Amino acid sequence: MTQPLDLTDIQADVIRASAHGGYLFARYVFFNIRDGEKGRAFVAAVAAEVTNAVIWEQGAATPPTVINIAFSYQGLKELGLPRASLNGFPDEFVMGMKARRAILGDNGPSHPDNWDPIWQANRVTRDKDVHIQVSINGKTPQDVEVRTQWLLALAGKPESGVFLLTGHRGPNGQQNLLYQDVHALFENGVPTPKEHFGYTDGISDPVFEGQPGEPWSAQGRGKQMADGSWAPLATGEFLLGHVDEAHEYPPAPQPQLLARNGTFMVYRKLHENVHAFDTLLEREAQTYPGGKELLAAKFVGRWRDNGAPLVSAPDAAAKAEWDQRFATATPQEQDRMLNGFTYDQDMSGSRCPFAAHMRRINPRASLQLKAGALPGQFVGNPGAFDTPGALANRRRIARRGLPYGDSTDRSSDRGNHGIVIMMLNADINRQFEFVQQQWINYGNDFRAANDKEILLGNHDKEFPSKAVLPVDPESEDVPYFVRNIPRLVETRGGEYFFIPSLTALRLIARGLVDPT
Amino acid sequence: MPNVSGNAYALSVLSPIRNDKVGTVSRADLVRDRLEQWNRLQNSPMAKVPQTYLCRFFVLDDVYTESLPSAGALDTVTDFLPVVPNTLRVGVLPAQDRLQSKYLVFSSNFHGDLDTYLLGMWNAITAEIKDVWQHCYGFDQVNDANTFSAYIKKCQLPVTLFFVGSNDEPLEEQLKGLYLKQEFARFAVEHQGIPSAELKKAYRAFIARVQPTNLQGPTWEPGQYIMDKQRNVQQEAAL
Repeated sequence: MTQPLDLTDIQADVIRASAHGGYLFARYVFFNIRDGEKGRAFVAAVAAEVTNAVIWEQGAATPPTVINIAFSYQGLKELGLPRASLNGFPDEFVMGMKARRAILGDNGPSHPDNWDPIWQANRVTRDKDVHIQVSINGKTPQDVEVRTQWLLALAGKPESGVFLLTGHRGPNGQQNLLYQDVHALFENGVPTPKEHFGYTDGISDPVFEGQPGEPWSAQGRGKQMADGSWAPLATGEFLLGHVDEAHEYPPAPQPQLLARNGTFMVYRKLHENVHAFDTLLEREAQTYPGGKELLAAKFVGRWRDNGAPLVSAPDAAAKAEWDQRFATATPQEQDRMLNGFTYDQDMSGSRCPFAAHMRRINPRASLQLKAGALPGQFVGNPGAFDTPGALANRRRIARRGLPYGDSTDRSSDRGNHGIVIMMLNADINRQFEFVQQQWINYGNDFRAANDKEILLGNHDKEFPSKAVLPVDPESEDVPYFVRNIPRLVETRGGEYFFIPSLTALRLIARGLVDPT
Repeated sequence: MPNVSGNAYALSVLSPIRNDKVGTVSRADLVRDRLEQWNRLQNSPMAKVPQTYLCRFFVLDDVYTESLPSAGALDTVTDFLPVVPNTLRVGVLPAQDRLQSKYLVFSSNFHGDLDTYLLGMWNAITAEIKDVWQHCYGFDQVNDANTFSAYIKKCQLPVTLFFVGSNDEPLEEQLKGLYLKQEFARFAVEHQGIPSAELKKAYRAFIARVQPTNLQGPTWEPGQYIMDKQRNVQQEAAL
């Protein structure tokens, strides 16, 4: 039986992406703690305004802004957490994102030397370390601004003990903006769920036990059971102090109250090379037999305009038919059409390629495969594991965040636009880092040798990347190779953060964390 | 049958390291030091040894065991006789066991039979073999390929676990296969979509260049695993 979560104790963004709740503007503000005791008082003042997840309950009133707070390892140290509690945090969180760059493939243009100044300076000298992130999510830019002024007034008091860290790059060559602003992209004044490459984003966020929402939302977004049905993932994949898919509690610091209902957040500012993307797409579309939009869909596994999955709409004709059904479908049916699919009928990748973003990030049951009789043919291997999703269920990541910048000028890659993505998981190493290293920057699990994921892969000029778009092995068609893929997405900064529960937040603010 | 799987052979060798010192340094430390030097080379000397799929060297410091009391009838009787004093009961337990010396462990998976492999190894890296093994008991009897082979066989343990990242073929076949796979992928990418007559011509030129049946070349070098040119340069500069 599903146990309801203590929504009063969990920060709002952990349970649901604020952007999905209508908060289309956000500002991420970062602080350095100059005085631990005063810093705790600052945290207490912010904590009093932190939004909990009750706002996502059916019929609950939604405030104009959602405030959340998170801490880096250095931040927790400065706030005076006992050494015994600090020692309980996982190694990768202690090390931080910069030190994990070899695992993450943050090299070349993604190397920390090229990050925004605030992130370059992080973990170099104590007074520039990023300790606290406060996120302000608003329904309008004005709402965000009002809350920003409140926060800055709080931080600006002489007794606050914290210092605003600046150094975010901006659209006009600025190097030292005060905050990281993000927002949904608008077309003709209407908000869209798009990102700068034109894809519809954030469709299939995972569903875990205890989340408020429709019972059918687990279809395609939870885990697939042996009988083919869908169930929410174990809470412990996303929240500490809860049992995970291995029926264990994820590694977490002591005391239990510090960890329970908290989670880890991977903050990454990802620049999108829109000119390189457009150039690649135009160049390859000249030779790709399916045309430009199908090719763009092959990069991700979904059509750009509405996210229709290639598995269900593999070509233009099927897409038109899919669109027609989608237009008249109920919300439940629409959700099923977008998410409730498998790769069972596409084991050879002729519809959704192995290099496609969606298949790499969440391969569902498709890694349970073996070679078929024909060249390039793969067939399912049912029964190899207890459940179809056994190889994917422990690699799921909840995605938060919004695009930043403007990309109307697509004549070069020098602009300042992309996505700030905040990924939530109970175990950064097992979930985010594994996906980044093994599935995005390497292809062996997908029988794709060292082919990288097309959009996010850290493609290298010296060893040009390719991607294979397979065809039905029983047809006479030939596979298509996407050639000389340039680096389309570059890391511009980031850090690993801990998002505590509200209980833990109060303990931290009062200096009462006691691991004994 | 141990050690052999198809045409692959799994060799595991434990050579006892002499317990005396050279000056103030133990011979085990000298062996370890020699092996660590190999890490600083661009490639392991073992890359020169024909037919090596994968190999590993390390120094085994000790294996400590403390076995449980045997479950013989006498033990059972004493367990049920509270009159047996505890000191006596503990006294009959097996003593702890340790290795008599440290060991140089060498394990290798290769193609073909053991005699050919050891002969090839001796001929390829005689100096390195002597450099490492000179600190082991009994190695002073080794002075040519035959005595080396006899020595290794004395130190050999039967094993049944194999490195699975390789197949049954000779090393040259595997290296050529990897080379061809890489080159063919490149050819396919570079010649995608061209008219069939041109493709045929280009393919002929490709085949002439890669020479699929010629195992001697062009092909990958044994031990070719570093793709990062910068790192190669740095490593060479460090030497």
